[in-house]
Amino acid sequence: MDTRRTRTASVVATLTVGALALSACGDGASDEPAAAGGTTDGRTTITVALFGTFGYEESGLFEQYMEENPDILIQYESTQGEDKYWPALQTKLNSGSGAADIQGIEVARISEVTANQADLWTDLRDTPAGERVGDYVSWKADAATTADGKVVGLGTDIGPMALCYRSDLFEAAGLPTEPEELAARMGSWEDFIALGEEFQAGAPDGTAFHDSAGGLYNAIVSTEEQIYHDESGELVLESNQAVRDAFDLAARAGQSGLTAKLEQFVDPSWDAGFGSGTFASIACPSWMIGYIKGKAGDAGSGQWNITTLPGGQGGNWGGAYLGIPEASENKEEAAELLAWLTDAEQQAAVFANVGNFPSNTGAIALVGDTTDEYFNDAPIGEVFTTSAENAPTQILGPHDGVAKNAMVQALLSVEVNGVDPADAWEAGVSQVLNQVR
Amino acid sequence: MTTITRPPAIPGTPLAAPTRRRRRRGNHSAGWLTYVVLGVTAVLFIGPFYYMIVAASRPMSEMVQSPPPLTPGPNLWANIQTALNQQDIGRAIVNSVIVSGTVTIATLLFCTLAGFAFAKLRFRGKKVLFGLTLGTMMIPPTLGVVPLYMVMAELDLAGRLSSVILPTLVSAFGVFFMRQYLLQSLPDELIEAARVDGATSLRTFWSIVLPIARPGMAVLGMLTFMTAWNDFFWPVITLNSSNPTVQVALNNLGSGYVPDTAIIMAGTLVGTLPVVVVFLLLGRQIVSGIMAGAVKG
Amino acid sequence: MTSTVPVRSAPDAVPPPIPPRVAEPGPPTWRSRLFRWEAGAAPYVYVAPFFLLFAAFGLFPLIYTVWVSLHEFRLNSEMTWVGLDNFVWLFTNEKFYNALLKTFTIGVLSTVPQLMLALGLAHLLNYRMRARNFFRISMIMPYATSVAASTLVFAQIFGRDGGFANWMLSLVGLDAIDWRNGDLTAQIAIAVIVTWRWTGYNALIYLAGMQSISYDLYEAASLDGASRWQQFRHITLPGLRPTILFTVVVSTIGATQLFGEPLLFGGGTPNGGAVNQYQTVGLFMYQQGWQYGSLGRAAAVAWVTFLLIVVLVLLNTAIMRLRTAQRLSGGDD
Repeated sequence: MDTRRTRTASVVATLTVGALALSACGDGASDEPAAAGGTTDGRTTITVALFGTFGYEESGLFEQYMEENPDILIQYESTQGEDKYWPALQTKLNSGSGAADIQGIEVARISEVTANQADLWTDLRDTPAGERVGDYVSWKADAATTADGKVVGLGTDIGPMALCYRSDLFEAAGLPTEPEELAARMGSWEDFIALGEEFQAGAPDGTAFHDSAGGLYNAIVSTEEQIYHDESGELVLESNQAVRDAFDLAARAGQSGLTAKLEQFVDPSWDAGFGSGTFASIACPSWMIGYIKGKAGDAGSGQWNITTLPGGQGGNWGGAYLGIPEASENKEEAAELLAWLTDAEQQAAVFANVGNFPSNTGAIALVGDTTDEYFNDAPIGEVFTTSAENAPTQILGPHDGVAKNAMVQALLSVEVNGVDPADAWEAGVSQVLNQVR
Repeated sequence: MTTITRPPAIPGTPLAAPTRRRRRRGNHSAGWLTYVVLGVTAVLFIGPFYYMIVAASRPMSEMVQSPPPLTPGPNLWANIQTALNQQDIGRAIVNSVIVSGTVTIATLLFCTLAGFAFAKLRFRGKKVLFGLTLGTMMIPPTLGVVPLYMVMAELDLAGRLSSVILPTLVSAFGVFFMRQYLLQSLPDELIEAARVDGATSLRTFWSIVLPIARPGMAVLGMLTFMTAWNDFFWPVITLNSSNPTVQVALNNLGSGYVPDTAIIMAGTLVGTLPVVVVFLLLGRQIVSGIMAGAVKG
Repeated sequence: MTSTVPVRSAPDAVPPPIPPRVAEPGPPTWRSRLFRWEAGAAPYVYVAPFFLLFAAFGLFPLIYTVWVSLHEFRLNSEMTWVGLDNFVWLFTNEKFYNALLKTFTIGVLSTVPQLMLALGLAHLLNYRMRARNFFRISMIMPYATSVAASTLVFAQIFGRDGGFANWMLSLVGLDAIDWRNGDLTAQIAIAVIVTWRWTGYNALIYLAGMQSISYDLYEAASLDGASRWQQFRHITLPGLRPTILFTVVVSTIGATQLFGEPLLFGGGTPNGGAVNQYQTVGLFMYQQGWQYGSLGRAAAVAWVTFLLIVVLVLLNTAIMRLRTAQRLSGGDD
């Protein structure tokens, strides 16, 4: 028994030592963290770290760039959820090491970057990417420019807003189904609500006109220039009539049963609703097209169509930028790659492959006449181009995330918890004020 | 090892005087009700894992239908291929084995030692030190990542497997667990007898404590391995997809605004399967490890 | 030491006794001094690895969190000293008290049934039966199933339209429930998820503990005519006391820090529902730190939570010690 235990012990000891040794040399030999690029066999390594929505890898763009530039090696990695990506990036920036040469920045974060972190990111005007700075939709480029004109990121995609709807359900309820007819009926958001009431009157059971009050609210405010902050960065949530009106309208829709009362993106019933027809319309940024196709599947092909927002307004939801952290040691090469990735041709290729709408004006021109079979051959290129051109330059501020979250939560409580809209508004506002004091 | 078979114990009847024999584990025999309860429980516990297989083998749009499908579909292999192409899950599994294995072995060793000390040895400051140990368990983990990363960056360990191994090498949970276990199963008399006989603490630990601790160590080892395998908040921050553990690799699966849940499920299946297979194969050993404890009295 | 004396008893039953040494006469030799030194130093050496590693990787984060809690701090922005302002903000914040309440209710809902179930399951698993290994391995399956996969399943089960739970309700003629948006229903759903995940884990811990209870005790009791339930109450439970204390303390700590399951039930958002109906303290802290980026406030929450847990654990241990004292004086054992 002694020998057995001794033998077990020696096995365990060997294993431990072996494992520790393996991890030590396994790390050293091949697994250099993809932080600082360097030179590997004469080639310069550029590290690119993004979150899941960019579409470069899927469109084969990294391969293509490496073929055309044999002295460059691209090491790419992607974190699926931006909400996991950003804390990791922030932690690395904070400690001064570990960030990649090119990092993605979501539009919701860009105002924080320009306001507080401008010195952690390279001014792209001083790099080979500088000549690209003027190629983008103006409101997109402005958001990534600091007060003193420093450009911290170049735009990748945008999310111009339209309205996607189930033409089969509209037909069943006696509504027009052609995009032009609908656009003619919807001169304003009030008209939209009126259309909704007409829909509910004639709709089959279990189908609501719109998916969620929160989604409707977001669609309305996305067409506004001033939402939660004014130019000086002050919070204007309480005083901005446009926000209050949007809130009231959405709350009305929620209360009168025009919505399916679903929490967007997180409620599995929302996912199911695309295919099962729980809702007949949804605010549609360009990337929602991919969502619809994925969730409704092949069965949904031909059931959906798309039209402009009421009154032909333009708005934006989503999008991202590419930036180069100041700590990067390969700024030149990284900037060249960045410039190429955000160039017109490449952005058009991404749109063709994964549906991300370009922010580069040249690319927008290239994709202008795309149609989509799934959406009854709707001219999605045209619809989104118009929306992008009509979108206002939004004033972004540091508390946008808090405010948006509070408003959507408040609207959900009106829908599902029966909270009175006035009370819900008060609760939402006080939540924001409480958070930012 | 000879065993003398004896008839199953019938409660209430006098038993033949027990001779020294290898004690067969399991006092009473299980009735049909026991089987039913355990069977239902097993179905409930394994159900979601089975559902993962279903979700991995069908296209995403089918899974959001109601009612959702209950049988596997045809896409399993294709989805697994896609998942393996997107992320280097093979390398991730190797890394996870290294990390989890090292952590488990070290935890077993150090926690049993410390647990023994706190349970049975006398020394000054024992209560305070044990209180401190417990105290460290109460620190919420999510905030520690920022300073921990700073430490790792200073030590130039960020991004390496060591940065994931070192912080979890000994856990307060393990120390506490082994202490309670030894308190319960290690009679003071044995320790006293050994001391009287002139055994050093180390010798006592080796010859007396370890065999008795074996069932506890088996369970602690299994739980530690799984916890290390499933750990993801800190690894996602410090590691990246060139040197991932399984959870990091799975976290990076899927792309685009609409993550394809079928691919993610397929990848998760591949990432979880090694652990499950190991426990199925070694389960016998582990379980009999749990069973082959020393007996009091 | 010398080799072990061969023992006639069956191997693995009782560890062999250390063979007696000849007593050493005369003044203390270096050997016996070494022996005494070893006895004194050994405990400190044994607990040292834990504290060393903690000092290296646990202490700095702790101190740093204290430091940060006294500042207003957004990562990669300036750190401004605010003293105790964060704590004042915290204690005048109704969302914090809501989170505390929810943590408590969800904690009770998910811990009490779970531990009782685990105890029962362990007792059943202790029986002699066929397919024992299969049942025991099935205990750990929930813990092995990835959090993402199991959340997907439970989100579907508790979905409003066409979820499994509502389907079962419809079978008995009840209306569908909007689980995730109701107050108590969402908490119940989360308690179910937590219970599902951790019951088997605790059952295995209890099972290991049960192995060290001698079978002879049960034999003697059944000879005396004790029923299985009485044996459970008077042999198993007392014998498991240290293990039970362990699981209670660990589960309490886990319940106070609960954050993974509510986060994923909310689809990855830390709101905890439209009216924060299932936002635990852990989720509240995560929201402050990582969604809103206020690390200073998150650190304050962390410290208050820590103090809360300490108080709770001390309470727990005091209660258990009280009950032990009662039992002993009552002579119930």
